Amino acid sequence: MLFNSLSFIVFLVVVLVLYYSKLFNWNNKKRMLLLASYLFYAMWNPPLVILLWISTIVDYTAGKKLAVLENQRQRKLWLLLSLFVNLGFLAFFKYGDFLLENFVTMMNAVGMDFQAQPMDIILPMGISFYTFQTMSYTIDMYKRKIEPARTFLDFALYVTFFPQLVAGPIVRAKELITQFYEEKKATTQQFLWGTFLLTIGLFQKIVLADTLLAGTSDDVFGSRAILHGLDAWTGTLAFSGQIFFDFAGYSTCAIGIALMLGIILPDNFKYPYAAIGFSDLWRRWHITLSTWLRDYLYIPLGGNRHGITRMYAALMITMLLGGLWHGAAWTFVIWGALHGIYLVVERLLRNKIHIKINTWNGIFLALLTYTCVNITWVFFRAREFSTAKNMLASMFGLHEGEKILQSFDIIKVFTVITILFICHWLMRNTSMKAVSLKTPPIVLGIVWALLFILICIAQGSGEQFIYFQF
Amino acid sequence: MQLKTSFLVALVLSAIGLVSWELYWRSQGYEPTLDDNKHLWAVERDKVNTLTANDVVITGSSRVLFDIQLDEFEKITGIRPIQLASAGSSPLPIFHDIVEHTDFNGTIIVGVTPPLFFSTTFPQAPPWQRPQSRVDHYHKRTYANRVNHWLSIPLQENLVMMSGHEEDADENIDLKGLLKRVKLNERTGKPQYPPFFEFGTIDRDRNTRMTERTATDTAFANVIKNAWKFIITSEGPPPDVEGTTKFFAADAKKFMERGGNLILVRPPSSGMFKGGESKFFPRDKLYDELVSITGAHSYHYEDYDELKSMVCPEWSHLSAEDADIYTRVLAREMMKDNALTKPTN
Repeated sequence: MLFNSLSFIVFLVVVLVLYYSKLFNWNNKKRMLLLASYLFYAMWNPPLVILLWISTIVDYTAGKKLAVLENQRQRKLWLLLSLFVNLGFLAFFKYGDFLLENFVTMMNAVGMDFQAQPMDIILPMGISFYTFQTMSYTIDMYKRKIEPARTFLDFALYVTFFPQLVAGPIVRAKELITQFYEEKKATTQQFLWGTFLLTIGLFQKIVLADTLLAGTSDDVFGSRAILHGLDAWTGTLAFSGQIFFDFAGYSTCAIGIALMLGIILPDNFKYPYAAIGFSDLWRRWHITLSTWLRDYLYIPLGGNRHGITRMYAALMITMLLGGLWHGAAWTFVIWGALHGIYLVVERLLRNKIHIKINTWNGIFLALLTYTCVNITWVFFRAREFSTAKNMLASMFGLHEGEKILQSFDIIKVFTVITILFICHWLMRNTSMKAVSLKTPPIVLGIVWALLFILICIAQGSGEQFIYFQF
Repeated sequence: MQLKTSFLVALVLSAIGLVSWELYWRSQGYEPTLDDNKHLWAVERDKVNTLTANDVVITGSSRVLFDIQLDEFEKITGIRPIQLASAGSSPLPIFHDIVEHTDFNGTIIVGVTPPLFFSTTFPQAPPWQRPQSRVDHYHKRTYANRVNHWLSIPLQENLVMMSGHEEDADENIDLKGLLKRVKLNERTGKPQYPPFFEFGTIDRDRNTRMTERTATDTAFANVIKNAWKFIITSEGPPPDVEGTTKFFAADAKKFMERGGNLILVRPPSSGMFKGGESKFFPRDKLYDELVSITGAHSYHYEDYDELKSMVCPEWSHLSAEDADIYTRVLAREMMKDNALTKPTN
């Protein structure tokens, strides 16, 4: 079920009515939320709920065992079982075809004539999110960082909680499970703020991503022609905006919906396009994934504790795997590699050049960072290397190229992206909540109404969120 | 933060804004209409799975969609057909889907619009891609898709602002459609598609009728004719007569071998369409050959006095009144030939 759909509106209203009715006690409310979460997922593909159940049962059992066992070898085996199941799901469902394809290419490259039937495996929605979330639980249990979930119901709800089930934020057990222990009820302020966040999220998705930017991005990246530089840049900028609004829109909706239930989810985006440098970018973009990768990959790989070379290697491996997490294609690996290289170069430069950031050099550096990020987006969006190569050649003026966009499309994209950048810059060191507190209530109400009216006018065709496929 | 105040202001302003928006577009002559989208099509396609040998399915392009009126057809034959025709489409992908993915062995009426029927079997070509995307949607649609469609029907039927079209029509009043109307200087150097407007209305069971305006307002009909002219005169790949005939014949054979009754129908066309079709898709070499190869029943409008002089207001489809007449003649002739028989229950 998509947040930007009529069925979800009905679903949410029913859930809220049941949640706030006096029909159930807290345990039954949690049961209701769990059933609703399974329904939310099953409305897309019912049999794949089984994967959620398996993940839940295995990790709950592993967590229980890890809490009581003292034998280190046995504890390791339980952890490995959890990792094997979750990573096994990912390997089969997400990377099965990719691995097979590469195996065939490798066989052919060494002169063996080998052909394989494509497996055409269906990719379960949000598998990368919920497997990472449950793995964080067992890893933290293994490291004795957290207490086990008190009940199976609490754990099952942690794995399946519908607002963040299919595209995050990836929440740690200690942040979410503990919230289920006591009855939660949103205050009026929380409920209304949650509704406002839901409006903002839907506006980002339906109006900004799908209506204003997606068409141009699709036209440019779907074109087989060698493009004019302006068209290539416009398409890339459009995609940079589209993916931000799409994903941040989902996260904002998720946070808002959870808040309407009195549950607090962590921020996932903090105005990333105003980042100065790439370390800053990853503190602002998909924060819950970058902190997951930092805690469960980068630091176990040695982090910065074993010298510079090992640190750079850890950084590169983390970013390469981070790229692959997004999709089973070499273009995503290149995307990750570029980010890894950016981070390494930034650290090298930071040791040599010290800049005191002020407004003007800050804007310049943020723009420079954003430009470099756009280069990586080419690989992220392009389905094939040839497309990425042609796009980059066009962007750097290496060929004349065909003009496929109309003037209005270009103006539209540049206007949206300029406003996006300015907003991110202005909001860099603050938050939406802080700004709202300073805004007169009537002005906030007018803005709220405008956003809602634009959502209704845009309608949207219920486009899927980009990150659902990851 | 006084969110209650903000919320109330937002609620009131949203209500005023949306009601004004709705009233404005109604004052501009817009009326709520259902969209002939993939979801509506999928609902009808689903019905094929439970049909009996007495039932009738129609497929083809927009001509059979506009020209065969389900009420009239039912009055004469006692059977209400399932309408699966798809505008701007080759009938081949949908016919292929029914043959391959159902056991249906009743009657299939296939509308033959020569430039589309004989166009292509290339999956990425628009006449193939468009119906195939509907078939694919049907097979892949989720329960959420079904519920969303079901919930959207009353909204589409009652609110102008919710009556957007899946296709890029120039009268679309959703935000994307409104932005599309903004034209600045042309920079691509390519010919631009002329304005195009929907000229029919569709019911829940996809019965489609041409609007009164199209039939009576010559200026409006000319706008549609301009769009057709653009399509006809645009450069495109040559028709693949051999490939399409072979593909369809194989499916027809399979369908008839399992007891299916196949009827080919060639609805009327006029003006530039008729001229182009006669010249580039001569009946004897294409349509008649197709009938002969498949062994299907055939109803070509030129063979009937009441039909051969019918005029399509925008060259390609019949007015609602003429469509009633056309359907009555067609159904009567089918019954007379025993190509169709009344269901015995």
